[in-house]
This record gives sequence, structure tokens and C-alpha cells, in this order.
Amino acid sequence: MTIKTNVTKKWIDQLVEKILFFMALLSASFIVMVVIVIIERGLSPFFSDNDGLGQVNLLRFLTGIVYLDGPTFASNAYGIGYLIISTLYIALLSLLIAMPISIFSALFIAKIAPKPLGNTLRTVTEILAAIPSIVYGLFGAGVILDLVYNLSLIVGVQSSAGFSVLSTVIVLAIMIIPTMTVIAEVAIRAVQKELIHGSLALGATPTQTNFKVVLASAKSGIFTAAILGVGRALGEATAVSLVAGSRRSGISFALFETTATLTSTMLQGMKETVGLDYTIRFSIGLVLMVIILLVNFILNFVKSKVGRVHV
Amino acid sequence: MNMQLKKGTLFASLAVILAACGTTVSSSSDNSVASSATSVAPEFTTSNNIVLYTRDTTSGTRDGFMGGIGFSTAAKNDSLLTDGFVIADNTAILTAMSGSDKYGIGYVSLSSVNNNVKALDFNNVEASEDTVLDNSYGLKRPFNWMLRADNDFPSATVENISKAFVAFMGTIEGGDTIAGAGAVALNATQRWDDIKASYPVCNQDNSAVTVRFGGSDSIEKVAKAITASFKPRCGNFVAEHEHTGSGDAYKRTNDPAIKDTAVGKDVGFASRNFADAEKKVGDVALPSAQYGQLAWDAIVAIVHKDNPLLNVNGDILKRMYEKASANPIRTWAEALAAEAAL
Repeated sequence: MTIKTNVTKKWIDQLVEKILFFMALLSASFIVMVVIVIIERGLSPFFSDNDGLGQVNLLRFLTGIVYLDGPTFASNAYGIGYLIISTLYIALLSLLIAMPISIFSALFIAKIAPKPLGNTLRTVTEILAAIPSIVYGLFGAGVILDLVYNLSLIVGVQSSAGFSVLSTVIVLAIMIIPTMTVIAEVAIRAVQKELIHGSLALGATPTQTNFKVVLASAKSGIFTAAILGVGRALGEATAVSLVAGSRRSGISFALFETTATLTSTMLQGMKETVGLDYTIRFSIGLVLMVIILLVNFILNFVKSKVGRVHV
Repeated sequence: MNMQLKKGTLFASLAVILAACGTTVSSSSDNSVASSATSVAPEFTTSNNIVLYTRDTTSGTRDGFMGGIGFSTAAKNDSLLTDGFVIADNTAILTAMSGSDKYGIGYVSLSSVNNNVKALDFNNVEASEDTVLDNSYGLKRPFNWMLRADNDFPSATVENISKAFVAFMGTIEGGDTIAGAGAVALNATQRWDDIKASYPVCNQDNSAVTVRFGGSDSIEKVAKAITASFKPRCGNFVAEHEHTGSGDAYKRTNDPAIKDTAVGKDVGFASRNFADAEKKVGDVALPSAQYGQLAWDAIVAIVHKDNPLLNVNGDILKRMYEKASANPIRTWAEALAAEAAL
């Protein structure tokens, strides 16, 4: 009887193992399929005749400052150099705003707030992190655009109804703050109590301990939060397209001027387009994937350098 | 003290940075006008730059607008537009003009215009269904249809359904459908029930019959709305839509070299008048029953309610939107001067 039970248990274990392996394989294969499709379609504009329009020039595509020089459906002169720079610029500004807010929020929730308040704030942050980006986009279109437009009037600058770099940065910052806060808060809570007690026992104040011991110890986790935040900012399309203004040419770092990102350009007119104008969006997607990989690589490298705890 | 100085420096720097971040607004005392004679007259600084709003290059409304102002080349080409334009959808343009952007100008379909924006007259004619239908409003284009020749359809059933479809477009129900899709329907007096007896093909089950529709992509939305409305009234035939441009309305229904290929169509649409060459096959003119108009696509230039501009023409709008214009209009003062010269 016992032998039979053991055989059954072993059989179940093997079955569960196989099911889990199959699930993991399935999930990995989806990623592989997506990557293959993006690469295959994304590269095709540079190697095919594009229904008589001719091959897209790769160098011009990567360095151009005019999205399309010529008529849609009749030209192959695409350029996204300015979009690459705008995308990185906007992601960087969003991170600069979101980073301190997220870290200090996380520190407050994890270490300073009374437990009931901390739990409530943690729940609220988690809910905010789960809100779809379209909601943030609508908030941006309904509220942030007006705020930015009014701000532009105050500082004496003419803005296009608030469609601007600043609106995009604010919306993205608002969007990534909850994600970064949740992850940073987990990292801060994971700091060993012995370190904190040791700091306090040596006469450091709670504030000194929080800033010099807790945050220093949680650096690695905080960097992970930044990596995910930047990833979300780089990849966001819907919310950005509602507040950016879909700039079609030229690099602009001015806060009140219209802008565009790789993703918002991919989304622009997506439902109505065909041919090369459709396929080129896969090429933009491919460039975006490379940029996200590079940024992640760089941030991970920085994380490995600064993430070491030296308390 | 030192801290206060630092704070002050910070705010001053921020103000400088923000101020350097775009086109500077002229002071309100400079070239300001009151847009109404009422006691609370809103300020409008005419020396400010015009902010141009446009739909994206796949939009039929943009196609109609650019064609209507004599700037067809810009219908699909952003690089011809004045720098600084904003690409936005219908809702975003209306939202910008109704509140946040005093100095913007955009265009929307007549059916979208509301009381929160100022609709500009075109050549001194106010945009309305009446002025569109009596042909006095000029910023519009016709939506036309064209059928294959009699006995040239894949089957008699397809021919009869196609002709019933054309008849339906001229009914009150057809007109409602067209209006619901954003176009201005022609005046109709009959209901479908009044004429359906003339089309017995609609009394049978047509679920195995496919009717092919094509031509203008600007009309695609309207055409799909009409077929969706007409299908249940005519035996649930299958409507196959492939809209590739107005030029294909004639080519794919009547051009002998193309109409019988795989891309041939039974009903074609064109968002412009048919050229003379498209009204004949060889030297033989098409019968008048083989083509006609189903609707108008009327487009209205809109601005903020505080904007003193009231009337424009195609030339003024083109000079605003065209980057390489020989006589560009870039500020509202220039636009008002051009309006005064009309």
C-alpha cells in the first residue's frame, strides 16, 4: 500500500514537473515568437523593395530628424533620430522627477509612517501601480495639459494647448512613481534590522539612520525600481500620445514645445495605415527594443557598481 | 541667509529655464484686441503665433481639408506643413479650441462642431447642412458612387443588390446612416419601406452572396456604415470592403483592363467629382444611372471663442499651413489683416 502511494506521489511529482516545464516553455516561446516577428518585420523595410518605394536607408532612418520626408504611402524617407533622442530625454526627465519622490515615499511607508497609515499607503500605491496607462493619459489630457498651458502663460511662453515635453514628462513621472515606490519600499523593508539597531545604538538619530544606513543598504533594490521605472517610461505609448503633440520633425529640448517618442509615433495612425508606413512601425519597435536593452544594461552596470553596500 | 539666497537663485534659474523653453508670448498690452463689445471682453494678443492643429496623414478629414484649401499635396505629407504644428484627433482639436489654446486653429467635420468653439465662415458663408446642400459653403467635397455596367456584374443577384444599395443610400434611413458616420447626406424624401418593393432581391436570403465595395479610403467609414445598415434589409449579403483611393472607383468597376481582375469591384466610391475620362469607357459615355452622389463631406476651420477672426478662405488657410508659402501667415495679426483684405 505504502509502495503504491509512493509510486503515485512520484508520478504526480513528475507530472507537475512536466506541466510546469511546458508552461515555462510556452511562456518563453511567446517571447521568442514576438521577438522573431518584430525582427523579421522590422528589418524588412531595409531589405525589400517596399512595393516599389525602394529600400529604406538605414543610416538616414537612425539619424534623420524628419519622420517622413515626402507623402505617406509614396515615400521611403523615414527618420527617427530625433525620436530616439526625445524618447531618452523624456525618460531621463521623468526619472529625475520620479526618483526622489518614489524613494522618499517608500522610506516613509516602510520606516516612518505608523503601521496602519503605512499599510494604507502601501495598498494605495499598489493600486496606483496597477492602473492602466490610458487612465493616466486621460488624466494628463484633462488636467495636466491645462496646468502646463496655464504655467506657460505665467512664464510668458506660448504653448500648444499644453501639448509639450513638460506634460509628457509629468504624466510619465506620475505613472512610474507608484511602480518605483512599490519596489523601493520592498527593498527598504528588507534592510536587516541589525544594521538599523546598530546605527541607533551608536547614537545616530532615526533620520541619520534612515538616510545613511537604510537607503544605503537598499541601493540595489532602489536601482531595480529605477530600471523598471525607466522601462515603463520608455515603453509607454498611449498616455504619451495624448499629451505629446506628435512632433514630426526636429529635436527640441524646450519644455513647452511639442514632442514625440518612439512609441507614440508607432501608435500614430496605426489603425488606418498599410504598406511601408505600417511595417516601418515594426522597425521603430525593433529600435526601441534595442534601446531598452541598452538602457537596462547600462543601469544594471551602474547598479552593480553603486549597489554594493558600504555602510 | 545663505539658504535663502540659494532658494532665490533656484527659483530665478527655474524661471529663466522655463522662459527659455519655447516661443515667448507677447505682452497682453501689445496688439491686444477685445473679441466682443460686451463689458467683459476677453483679451486676445494678435501678435502671438498661430498654433496649427491637424489630423494625421491617414485621416480623410485632413484629405478633404487640404484639398479644399488648395493644398492637396499636404494631405499625406507632414513635411510640407509649417513647423510647430500639432497632430491631434478630432476630440483633441475640439478640446484645444474649446479651452486650452486661445491661439490655435484646426479643422473638424461639420458634424463635430459644437458651441464651445468658433466655427469660421468660409468665403463669408457659415457652415451648416443647409449651406452645404445649397452649394454655397465651399470647404467641402462630394462623396460619389459608381456601379459596374448593366449585365457586367458577377451575377444578376449581385447586380440587383448593388442597385438596391444605391437606392437605399438615397432614402431617409440611408441619409441617417450617412449623417451618423459624419457626412452630410443629400435631401431624401422616401423611406426604404416605400421603395423596397422595387427590389425583390432583398426579400431572399443573400447570405451566400458577396458584393465588393472599393474606391476612396476617405469614404470607407461611411460606406461600411451604410452596408452595415443595409445588409439586414437585403437578405444579409456579405459586404467585402477594400478601399484603395478615389482613382480606383472607376478603374475597378469600369476600366476594361482592371475591372475583371481579382481587384474588381461592384460598387466604387470617390471623394471627389469624377473626371470626364472616368465617365466613359473608350468613347462610350456611361449612363447617368451608373454613377452619382451620396453625400457631402463638409469641413470647418475652428478657432477659440476669444479669437476675433470670423472669416477665412482657402488662400488664408493655405498660407497658414504651408511651410514654403511665398506669403506666409504666421501670427494672428497677419491673419486678421488677410481677413480684412477679403
